[in-house]
Amino acid sequence: MNTVPTDAIKSGSVQSGPDHSALSDPGTEPGTEPETAVGKTAETATGNAAETEQAGYLDEKIAQVRAMDFLQYRSPDLPTWCPGCGYFGIMDAFYKACRELDLAHENICAVSGIGCSGRTPIFINSYGFHTLHGRSIPVATGLKLAREDLTVFAMAGDGDALGIGGGHLPHVARKNIDITFILFDNSIYGLTKGQSSSTTPYETKTNSHPVGNPDTPLNPIKLALAYGSSFVARGYAGDPEGMKALIKAGTLHRGFSFIQILTPCVTFDKTNRTWKALKENVCSLNLHAPAPDNMESAMRAAENEPYGTGIFYQDKERPSYQDILRQKKNAK
Amino acid sequence: MKTIDKDISIVIEICGSAGEGTISAGEILSRFMSAQGFEIMSFDAYPAEIRGFGKCVAHTRVSANPIYSPGKLADVLIALNDNHAISQLSALKKGGILIYDSQPPKPHEEDQSVVARADAVTISYGVPLTMLAQKAAGNARGRNMVALGALTALFHLDRDAFTNSIKDRYGKKKQIVIDSNVNSFLEGFDWTKENIDKADTISFQGVTPPQSKAEQKGEKLIINGNQLVAKAALDADLKFYAGYPITPATKIMEILSKELPKHGGTLLQTEDEISAIGAVIGAGYGGIRAMTGTSGPGFALMTEFTGLSVMAEMPAVIIDSQRGGPSTGIPTKTEQSDFNAAMFGGTGDCPRVVLAPTDTTSCYDATVLALYLAEKYQTLVVILLDFFLSNSIRNIDTPKKPAPKMLNANIAPDAADLAGYQRYKITDSGISPRTIPGTPGGMYFATGLEHDANGRPNYTDKGHLAMTAKRFRKHASVLAEAPAPMISGTQEMVDIGVISWGSSAGAAHEAVVTAAGEGISAAAFSSMMLSPFPEKQVTAFAGRCKKILIPELNYTGQFADFVTKIIKRPVERLNFITGRPMAAEDIVEKMREMI
Ligand SMILES: Cc1ncc(C[n+]2csc(CCOP(=O)(O)OP(=O)(O)O)c2C)c(N)n1
Ligand code: SF4
Repeated sequence: MNTVPTDAIKSGSVQSGPDHSALSDPGTEPGTEPETAVGKTAETATGNAAETEQAGYLDEKIAQVRAMDFLQYRSPDLPTWCPGCGYFGIMDAFYKACRELDLAHENICAVSGIGCSGRTPIFINSYGFHTLHGRSIPVATGLKLAREDLTVFAMAGDGDALGIGGGHLPHVARKNIDITFILFDNSIYGLTKGQSSSTTPYETKTNSHPVGNPDTPLNPIKLALAYGSSFVARGYAGDPEGMKALIKAGTLHRGFSFIQILTPCVTFDKTNRTWKALKENVCSLNLHAPAPDNMESAMRAAENEPYGTGIFYQDKERPSYQDILRQKKNAK
Repeated sequence: MKTIDKDISIVIEICGSAGEGTISAGEILSRFMSAQGFEIMSFDAYPAEIRGFGKCVAHTRVSANPIYSPGKLADVLIALNDNHAISQLSALKKGGILIYDSQPPKPHEEDQSVVARADAVTISYGVPLTMLAQKAAGNARGRNMVALGALTALFHLDRDAFTNSIKDRYGKKKQIVIDSNVNSFLEGFDWTKENIDKADTISFQGVTPPQSKAEQKGEKLIINGNQLVAKAALDADLKFYAGYPITPATKIMEILSKELPKHGGTLLQTEDEISAIGAVIGAGYGGIRAMTGTSGPGFALMTEFTGLSVMAEMPAVIIDSQRGGPSTGIPTKTEQSDFNAAMFGGTGDCPRVVLAPTDTTSCYDATVLALYLAEKYQTLVVILLDFFLSNSIRNIDTPKKPAPKMLNANIAPDAADLAGYQRYKITDSGISPRTIPGTPGGMYFATGLEHDANGRPNYTDKGHLAMTAKRFRKHASVLAEAPAPMISGTQEMVDIGVISWGSSAGAAHEAVVTAAGEGISAAAFSSMMLSPFPEKQVTAFAGRCKKILIPELNYTGQFADFVTKIIKRPVERLNFITGRPMAAEDIVEKMREMI
């Protein structure tokens, strides 16, 4: 096992505001989940003498961050992600978005699949449901249809959402179910330790394709557009303000909101979507400037590199699924 | 003259092509018989030995007494189509009655007519069905009604009442449609009265249906299992149904798509069965009653989610209406071969509740019970129907609406529970008080990972054992509220005890009565609750049976394997997978062999 944590902390902390690595608790469940990277990194992390010496500094840092208002949306559980993982930044943006929207904790439901990303609801101070690999969307759909009063989020990794669960996306989009879907896109299978996913670029070397990935990657934004999502956006894990704005806009959007977040897996991807590569390859969507209600320009913008972040497309007029059902009922 | 008395019931089959009015003729016959106060059980079959497309058979059993099984062989075969009817002759009793078209539109080659193929002892009545329909209505469409007219005349049924049943059936149609049908019927009736010399002994003349039946006429429901499941679900406050079309369960979704919105509920047609059960679990998590329905192939797709329902302790009800064979199998034939899948399919040690209605009426009870148990015990409940139960039609007493306690079963935490709320608190009953999202102070994290009382992932050996034991303790609690097993026959030591389940149970209970008439001492046991199974009761029952027989519609005897383990002794099996439902005669034949 290499010395991921220290590398990761360096690159990660530059990008994503608070020093998340300080908040991760590598010792929470070492070795309990053989499938995870988490346990493994934890072993190396706990062996790090420098870190123990810094305990006083860390305590102080933790106290500081805890004092911030938005952290009320954090659960007391310490994330089990690898230090430097992009997911910390996504969560911070999520907490802040909840804070600024002033969502009542008990009305938030975060539904996730399986993967490192699947653990997310544990770290949110709200209702949460960690379901099956690939199945956050069906469960979130049932929940929203049962309880329109709740603010329902579905969260999934790229393997989860586009591989095993790829069959659900077209339908939640075309039905326009009023949930906010956040794709934690690190273009790798994190939890199972570094196999190719549906967004791994062609030729990338991974643990399942050591001589290079033979598959062409999917473009999640183009898919979301083609499936008829009424809100399509892309954020970047190193841009907390940008992600926060997108999560807020997606939550306020009435209908299905698709938000892809480009994020690194610092442990299992050393070549492709690293913090460094992402930083160089991400720009504001203003560069491509799609008109927000123009599908064609959105499609074109989705092809471009560097990767634009922002809202690609939004149809504010389209009724949500439940609006349509109500219309039909009243029409009778 | 032979009349319908308490020992007799007759089976009438109408056989034709799709589009010849076979099914509607069967339906009118059933409704008429029901209105007359008789018990009916009917179903439409589409045998596999079809040559050409579209053979259908409307099978109706009529009796003055309670009916438990559909009957094996027909007393009467009405042939609307000779080609198809020839292959149906094997289901006609020796010495049975054949009514056929004596002047078919195209004359048959020698030997190719049904009458030529019927054996010598068959009593055959040729009626010019096509010609009489032409005469009555100007086209041949009313041949099915001509045949019903002939039947009415032959068996001395009430002509005017039958006419009313036809009018009822076509009441919403144009007058010309009603008239053509009624006239064809009357034409058939008159012609038969004048031209046929009755050679059989069946007559309804002077038969008064049992008094109680006549009194209840108005309250009888003529209904099949699928319709009754939908009705029960609505009565039991179902608010969400998700489904993906598959025979024989589709009809449940179609009925609910009309009815649920009227009851403030939502119907979701999903992209597949995985999504359907996922949405049901999501809705159950949200605190409303939710259900999905499917058949074997869809149930297979759902199995991963069944584990999540049990592990995360979320209510979910799945109906699996079984059909034939593995894979796509035989979609239009009945079988009981998903027993193992429903009882044991899925991941890990996974205690679930499995209910199998034993007749049409119990489809109602099972649905109400399933929604109640799923909500109260926060777990998975599977209802095993089959093609026959889903589609066979009975006239039954309107079921009583569920008691209020069945409608609101969620055990919510009280103030004391909420202080330091533990969603998965270890309890004696296995039930932990459950909040629904939106409840302040009751927030929790649900997961399919093994977890501690707070829902936090926990894989310690002690933790896993304690939680597994907690989930299994629900079984004991469920069993305490299970409906009592049905036991029929004598209470003493018997030569043969029949233990059965699902749609075969009716045939078993009926067989015991028939066997007693032949001097075979027998008793029968069946339980709607398959998991948890009433092990004590079945062991006690087996203890007073010299031999045990387990009849079921699968190849190996899946339920027999299960029961053998419980009663710890070998059993006799009766298995067939012809696609035909179990009949009492099948079981009686086997009992004779065993004696
Ligand atoms: C049905 C099923 N198949 C396989 C797995 C194993 N598995 C767990 S997570 C995962 C992939 C995770 O990758 P991704 O969805 O991209 O999420 P990440 O870990 O990168 O956040 C796999 C294959 C599983 N849990 N369930
Ligand atoms: S996604 Fe990668 S870096 Fe993040 S927690 Fe999982 S293995 Fe670690």
